[in-house]
Amino acid sequence: MSSKRARTEEFEKSALPHLHELYRTAARLLGDAVKAEDAVQETYLQAWKSFERFQPGTNCRAWLFKILVNTIHHHRRKWSNLRLVKDSEQVLEQATDPPPPVPEHITEGEILRALDRLPADYRTAVLLADVQEFSYKEIAGLLDVPIGTVMSRLSRARKLLRGELSALARAYGIRRAGAEGSQP
Amino acid sequence: MNAAGQNGACAKARTHMDAYLSRELPEPDRRKLAGHLEACPICAADLETRTRLRAQLQAAVRSAPVPPALEGRVRRAVRDEGPPHRTGLWAIAAAAAVIACVALVSYVRQRANPENAILAKTSGPLAAVLKVGLRDHLQCAVFRKYAKRPEAANEMAADLGPGFATLAPLVKAKLPAGFFIVSAHHCTADGRHYTHFIIAAAGKLISLVLTRAKPGESMGGGIYQTGVDRFQVVGFESHGYLAYVISDLDAEQNLQLAASLAPSVREFLATHAG
Repeated sequence: MSSKRARTEEFEKSALPHLHELYRTAARLLGDAVKAEDAVQETYLQAWKSFERFQPGTNCRAWLFKILVNTIHHHRRKWSNLRLVKDSEQVLEQATDPPPPVPEHITEGEILRALDRLPADYRTAVLLADVQEFSYKEIAGLLDVPIGTVMSRLSRARKLLRGELSALARAYGIRRAGAEGSQP
Repeated sequence: MNAAGQNGACAKARTHMDAYLSRELPEPDRRKLAGHLEACPICAADLETRTRLRAQLQAAVRSAPVPPALEGRVRRAVRDEGPPHRTGLWAIAAAAAVIACVALVSYVRQRANPENAILAKTSGPLAAVLKVGLRDHLQCAVFRKYAKRPEAANEMAADLGPGFATLAPLVKAKLPAGFFIVSAHHCTADGRHYTHFIIAAAGKLISLVLTRAKPGESMGGGIYQTGVDRFQVVGFESHGYLAYVISDLDAEQNLQLAASLAPSVREFLATHAG
């Protein structure tokens, strides 16, 4: 019993410090606070069940995020049908546009709403890279995709996010700056 | 540098900016980019915008509140080592096995209040919440006569009113082949108001029922299933409403139908629940 308790405490000590960031990522990926809570609980239960295979000293945070990503992926496959393919095509078209201007002052609500409008693959990439600051290699491992895919998704995600925010710029009456290369 | 040369240099600089932002740009490229930025205020401004956006995004996501009870809930689930009290939506099949706690074999038909005989077979706090939806299915779809001719779309829209009319096509779109909406309306059972879709398929009768949650009535974020007599009940909560799919389909079919309808219902309630 004491061994079990020690193992539980070890798990909690290693894994629970990452709970807030897991929840915030899940909330943005699922767009629903309650679903995010469920996803985080599911992630911890999965992690606990496979904790015997976890190597102490390795990256517990990346391990938990991988479980979270898989949990959410499973959820998406079950609850939504092929939405991502269509979204991705739309993004490919928009991603070819040059970078638009962005307002100087953006509220947190505005930037989160813009983030929430990104298709899931791109939202995932930008959350893992720009918010959680995982390396390209780590993200490739988390998502089971090549590093090149991570780079292209992240690039497109950033452009798309900027495009969403440029709508605010237009609303505020900001015009695009002069074309690149026009300097003497 | 002429304009064409500058354009090429700017284009190249921009291809490196994503890796630079991610701290993944190799040192030689990093030096080249830094050199270009010193000479090109437009690219420097572009990178400044990207850096600012990244920081703002990080701050916005990291400032989002985390439910204070979540850590305790996770600790309890881990320490119990058993299935969580509320499994994820994606684990509803497992939830069905765990939570389907009421399995009664006999159906006692009572003439005066036949639904009460069935409702009396449910017990426990969760069953009490699931009973809310079952009551309307029994009273309105099973034991009340309704027109066998399916309502036309405009009739449904008129019955549902402007608040819920747009839900009908969303529900219709998610029904499997051979399933059709017989009636969509508002109704009252046991003094409670419901929005009710009666659906039929090959001799089976299905209800999608929505009603505002009252204080103390909650299913949290899970999807719950129970079997009562010959009826299967799946319930979930969304945006202040309790939603149910009740039918005489088998448990797996009823669960699949609920899984198919739930996203549209949630999205609709997110927009329309007030």
